[in-house]
Amino acid sequence: MRFDIAVVGSGLSALIATRTLQRAGRKPVLIWPGLSSLYFLYATVDVLGYANPTTAEAVEDPVSGVRQLIADHPEHPYARAGLPALQNGSSLLLDWLREAGFNWQGTLDRNLLLPTATGTPKPSCLVPTSMAAGDLHRNEPIVFCGFDGYQDFIPELAAANLSHGWNGGSRNVGAVRVPLPGVKPDRLFTSIDIARSMEDATFRRDVAERLRHAVKDDRARLGLPAVLGLTHDTDVHVEFEKETGHPVFEIPTVPPSVLGLRLFDRLRRHLQETGIEMIWAAPAHEAEVANGRCLRIHLKSAGREQPVEAKAYILALEDAVDGAWRAGAHTVRDPFFHQVLAQHATPGERTDESLFAPQPFAAIGYPVSDRLQPTHQDGHPLASNVFLAGGGIAGYDPTGIKARGGMAIATGYRAAQEAMAA
Amino acid sequence: MPDTSTGVVVIGGGSTGAGVLRDLAMRGIDAILIEKGDLASGTTGRSHGLLHSGGRYCVNDLAAAIECVEEGRILRRIARTTVEDTGGYFVSVSEEDEAWEPRFVEGCRKAGITCERISVEEARRREPALSKQVRTVFWIPEDGHLDPFYLVVGNVESARRRGGQVRTYTEVIGFTRNGNRVSGVLTRDAMTGEETSIGCQAVINATGAWSGFVARLLDVEVKVVPVKGVMVILSRRLAHAAINRCHKPGDGDIVVPGLSVAILGTTAVKVPHPEVLPIEWDEVQMLIDEGAKMLDGVTTARAMRAYAGVRPLYDLGAEAEGREMSRNFAVIDHEERDGIAGFTSIVGGKVTTYRLMAERVTDLVARRLGVSTKSTTAEVPLNDREDELDQLRHRPAHLGVPKPHGEEVALQPLLCECELVRPQDVEPWMKDPAVRTLEDVRRRTRSGMGPCQAAICSYRLAGRLVTDRGVDGRTATRAMADFLETRWRGVRHVFWGSQLRQAQVTTGVHLELFNVDRQLTKYFPPPLAGEGQGGGVPAEAAEVEAVGQP
Repeated sequence: MRFDIAVVGSGLSALIATRTLQRAGRKPVLIWPGLSSLYFLYATVDVLGYANPTTAEAVEDPVSGVRQLIADHPEHPYARAGLPALQNGSSLLLDWLREAGFNWQGTLDRNLLLPTATGTPKPSCLVPTSMAAGDLHRNEPIVFCGFDGYQDFIPELAAANLSHGWNGGSRNVGAVRVPLPGVKPDRLFTSIDIARSMEDATFRRDVAERLRHAVKDDRARLGLPAVLGLTHDTDVHVEFEKETGHPVFEIPTVPPSVLGLRLFDRLRRHLQETGIEMIWAAPAHEAEVANGRCLRIHLKSAGREQPVEAKAYILALEDAVDGAWRAGAHTVRDPFFHQVLAQHATPGERTDESLFAPQPFAAIGYPVSDRLQPTHQDGHPLASNVFLAGGGIAGYDPTGIKARGGMAIATGYRAAQEAMAA
Repeated sequence: MPDTSTGVVVIGGGSTGAGVLRDLAMRGIDAILIEKGDLASGTTGRSHGLLHSGGRYCVNDLAAAIECVEEGRILRRIARTTVEDTGGYFVSVSEEDEAWEPRFVEGCRKAGITCERISVEEARRREPALSKQVRTVFWIPEDGHLDPFYLVVGNVESARRRGGQVRTYTEVIGFTRNGNRVSGVLTRDAMTGEETSIGCQAVINATGAWSGFVARLLDVEVKVVPVKGVMVILSRRLAHAAINRCHKPGDGDIVVPGLSVAILGTTAVKVPHPEVLPIEWDEVQMLIDEGAKMLDGVTTARAMRAYAGVRPLYDLGAEAEGREMSRNFAVIDHEERDGIAGFTSIVGGKVTTYRLMAERVTDLVARRLGVSTKSTTAEVPLNDREDELDQLRHRPAHLGVPKPHGEEVALQPLLCECELVRPQDVEPWMKDPAVRTLEDVRRRTRSGMGPCQAAICSYRLAGRLVTDRGVDGRTATRAMADFLETRWRGVRHVFWGSQLRQAQVTTGVHLELFNVDRQLTKYFPPPLAGEGQGGGVPAEAAEVEAVGQP
């Protein structure tokens, strides 16, 4: 099969690269290797939450923070991608979300501070409007709301932590629980089940009614697990606020994450509806290179191998979840060129003693050129028409600085620009 | 005056101590068990879970093999759901192994172990994963899998129903004496530091590899050699039955399938202290290489974690006097040997023979107390019900699997999807003061033991601490983080393949969605000493560990 530009990946960086190419009038093909990290790791687009992985104070102005990061660390993937890629990529994303029927908000020069399911304040930049009312820069009291028998959001835990973590102890934080209409708490139900039910007006009004009775403080905002609709979430959120009479905000939960599902499902469908060809569930496992150019990549799909030819390739695997590289006991290789990306005497060296510290394995990846081409150790590109976005890039570790979305956008956008110029 | 009084204080909450507590309670003797960490947090909970048929000992240690045969049969009666009746194979993969075969067959005959040679074809039909290297196969129907956590908890709960008491996270720091008679135990809470005294007529030291430290508090010596064993857990069983190498017992020669996993065992390295148990990469690699000689798929299966336990090997040569006997364990009567009345140690042995060990030491202590009641632990099931399965364990059948005929049972919510643990399985332990950490909940329910290593259930359990136990949010979050850290310590040693993806989901949920790393750095004091480790490591041991670690 022959294409203009092939994008490999299933996370946000692959989506942004594909959309960028589409908006520029190119004809990309999107190759999905498998289940996406979007399901697990995305609820908001975090651009820069903290200046370094261990500092405690949150960044208030992410774009200035990234500018500083680029100045201080010229090897950082943000520096490789460049600030304009972040800025242009972010506007492209917000436009796209609007066009695809999402209601998102946020600007690059301001972080919101949103309570998580453990009640920890977390800085986020671009967010679904259904989460925005949780911003801790605002003053209204917060009541976390949970449901009997639902284990993936514990309002009491969130409230207990936030009452410590939120500056100004006089502010009220509370927790309530209500039974869900017609749902027996001793029966299995998930976030997705509730999200679907919330699209039913009768069910939703009943929940709103119960919450209205349970919440005594008229000024309070209600923090709910992210279950306000699966496909019609914008309407559900607007209606639910009216029905409860309170500002309402959603809080991301453990997988299966409704916020991740919404994002993945709708962006993917929008790409398909606007004419982008996709190849599904086909992990790429080999790049064929001759004379410094990649001739084709080989996909493993449904029992047979399928070669894909394109003028340029964007490898936008976001991290290990998406298969950015393969780790044996001692050696880490990438799935395309089978180059050794890292060698370890023992597998334990890839990790820190603490789960909550930066992990050495997260930073494994290719050295890249100024144009985001994967290079040999000597800096020479492996193939002049291959470009990297996401976790294949060495030093790509968005976890500690809370920059997953921003780094995906910046590298995805920049890789797309370079691929078009190739 | 002591704060509390009882008949016997049992020190040590492993299988032996738990068995002793039950035996005492069944003879009507008041007793309190104290344990410096959690139940089954030492040797027992870190065993590979083989219920020994005796096949591994029948050549070199016939007396031990005979005990295993008998005790294995008793455990199948009294702890039916704690034992998984897998059977086992002894396989030869080399000429040296084949040379061992006649001795093995003869040993089985002498010990009374059922042993049947079957063709390799037949063996492969039953166990398709047997490796191509396998030359000879013996079927040993009485090998099995023993869940060490349920075994200990089952014994303790049985004792509690009869008035026995248990205090976890309670260290012994000294004894009170009345002349040459021990009259009580001084204890300290390992977490709060609170000190308490318990008056008693007798003390039983059932601390296994720690026996020497306890005895030293009375200025007597018990020589126990702590020998480390490392094990690797694979996320799949690979085999129905236990697979042993048919040779002189050595390193990496056993694969024990249990529930949904398989455990590769083991190594044997003398260590300076029972809590200095570094896991070396060489050991992990050896276990995988050796396991692969017996079973295909060992190298490609997902290794979930590695862990280390300590055997309490007892040097019998040095303790020729003052003991009631057996080849593999010993009851040390310190009254006879050292002139200290009211103090008895039980040392050596293994999980399979815990009940017999408990019976022997309790016989002696009961006699000294003038109690003539005989042990009934071999007859009465752990759950006291002849006709019902042990209710400590819930099988997947309870979870809403459609029945073959008739109605479909609705799916029930799960708290830990990996290990099929329901919220109601956790509930009673949230009310139990002996349960202090989420690791303690894990040991009693299996929550967090599966492939995701607590990434999901840790949040739900933290929530339960707040809602069911009333702890504050910070403590609950700290408990969640400590639980994840303890799981992480085992995962790190087998960090390749799918483990990286799993780790990314865990960090994605806890660091990115929840921002727990900032909760810890910004809003928390440093962690409680020793939490999640089953009690603190003594200062000198911690130093040894720091030096000994690569």
